[in-house]
Amino acid sequence: MESDGLQNVDMVRIPAVPVFNWSVGNFMERFFDGLKGGKFMGVKCPDCGRVYLPPRMICERCFAKNDEWVELPPEGTVESFTLAQVKVGEDGELADLEAPVLIGMVKHEGADTCLVARIEGLDPEEASVGIRVTAVLDKSAESILDILSHYVPR
Amino acid sequence: MEKQVAIVGYAQTGYESDVDASREILVLEAAVGALRSAGISREVIDTVVTANNDYMDGRTISNMRLVEPSGAWLKDESKVEMDGAYAVLYAMMRILSGDHDVAMVIGVSQASVFPTYVPGVMTLDPTFDRERGLLNEVSAAALQARAYMDACGVTEEQIAGISVKNLRNAALNPLALRRMPVLTVDDVMSSRMLYSPIRELNAFPPSDGACSVILASSKKAAEITDCPVWIRGVGFSHDSYLTERPLDKLGSLKQAAERAYAAAGISDAKDKIDVAEVHENFAHEELMAYEALGFCGEGKGSALLESGATKINGELPVNPSGGALAANVACAAGLARIAEAALQVRGEAGSHQVKGVKTALAHGQTGLCAQENIVFILGGE
Repeated sequence: MESDGLQNVDMVRIPAVPVFNWSVGNFMERFFDGLKGGKFMGVKCPDCGRVYLPPRMICERCFAKNDEWVELPPEGTVESFTLAQVKVGEDGELADLEAPVLIGMVKHEGADTCLVARIEGLDPEEASVGIRVTAVLDKSAESILDILSHYVPR
Repeated sequence: MEKQVAIVGYAQTGYESDVDASREILVLEAAVGALRSAGISREVIDTVVTANNDYMDGRTISNMRLVEPSGAWLKDESKVEMDGAYAVLYAMMRILSGDHDVAMVIGVSQASVFPTYVPGVMTLDPTFDRERGLLNEVSAAALQARAYMDACGVTEEQIAGISVKNLRNAALNPLALRRMPVLTVDDVMSSRMLYSPIRELNAFPPSDGACSVILASSKKAAEITDCPVWIRGVGFSHDSYLTERPLDKLGSLKQAAERAYAAAGISDAKDKIDVAEVHENFAHEELMAYEALGFCGEGKGSALLESGATKINGELPVNPSGGALAANVACAAGLARIAEAALQVRGEAGSHQVKGVKTALAHGQTGLCAQENIVFILGGE
């Protein structure tokens, strides 16, 4: 049954915007500092040698604190991808994109975990798992979150 | 597990996309329905466990106003902020502790009242992924689907076959939201593309509703009913964040299933399980689940589907109710799988009843790309 909604109050809004004052933490701070200088900084588990990019403080497999920093190349492999026709809009629902966006999950050479970013310069029809890509950085980006701009095929 | 905790009652509301009822009325309907199904009064319930989510309910400690409709007033009451399948696990543990004999479990949410895809975004890493606007539960599932398709040679048409099977089954289930008796693979393949390869008809429909299950100790179960549905085994497992694990298989579901089978003394799942209710938020996850649950070998999920074995009249029917593709209430979808599995064991499923069910499997999941999984094995006398 479709509801017409009650007539007296059509929407309740919380009279405050929930903004969280998180620090990105020491490890992500160093990751972002690395990106500003054009470097991909990951961390290695002291026990199993697994390399985390982006860096994680703890290796869940070994229950150990990661402590060795490693610089990784900007090149990696597409582990999976999707062609987005929609995005989550301001209202929290799926809204159509004006143009589709190719999104890739990329494992940098020497890393064991993945970064998710846009892929450009690749016909979506040609996209496949295993394609080798290189990161493109935009050091002039307004937000440090946007310095890792996208990947291109190599 | 030998006859220690039984399911003795259950109820589900009808599932809708925008129900004309409050959350409290949905919970009341599920609670009263479950009590009626068990033939007991509120006084018999010792402990109440709700499954709901502060964000989705738009209030902090959102179970506080569920005291009244759940019948929990002045009783032992607590909450699990995950799928209700985990609330069943918690309630079972409370009974096994010896402190309680009868537990009511209720899961509820209304997708029509919260911004549907924001809770999924809020589960992302807040220092990077969340802020970049690319990942959400649908795009993450698309990455999972593509990884699986690539690893196992599965096609979009084969994935659409799951939607066709489940949504046709749903036409037999009066409570389901998406009831599509004549759906075809072409229909699924021409539905709105969201994130390739995921289209509208192989993604869950945001739903409103509630589900309740009543559990009892062996002593109390014998007093309450002649046909208890015993929890024969349970297993659960929690994997890493989605970018830090292989997405082409459901590793934690495999482990959860192995633990549940060991507890239930099952060595050949395909032979012993008579029906399975799987929590597939997306169609490809059911194919992946076939493999993780040991119904077929690795990479053989699509072959199992195409053999017809998992159809409602096949040798191992999966999701005769229509599954989560037919109705997916956050916090209640896995719980509904348990209620449906119990319904099948009792022979009360009506038009979607599978013949001769002695042992049933129910699965619940929580988290992006099925990060954590729980499996129950249920059986009658």
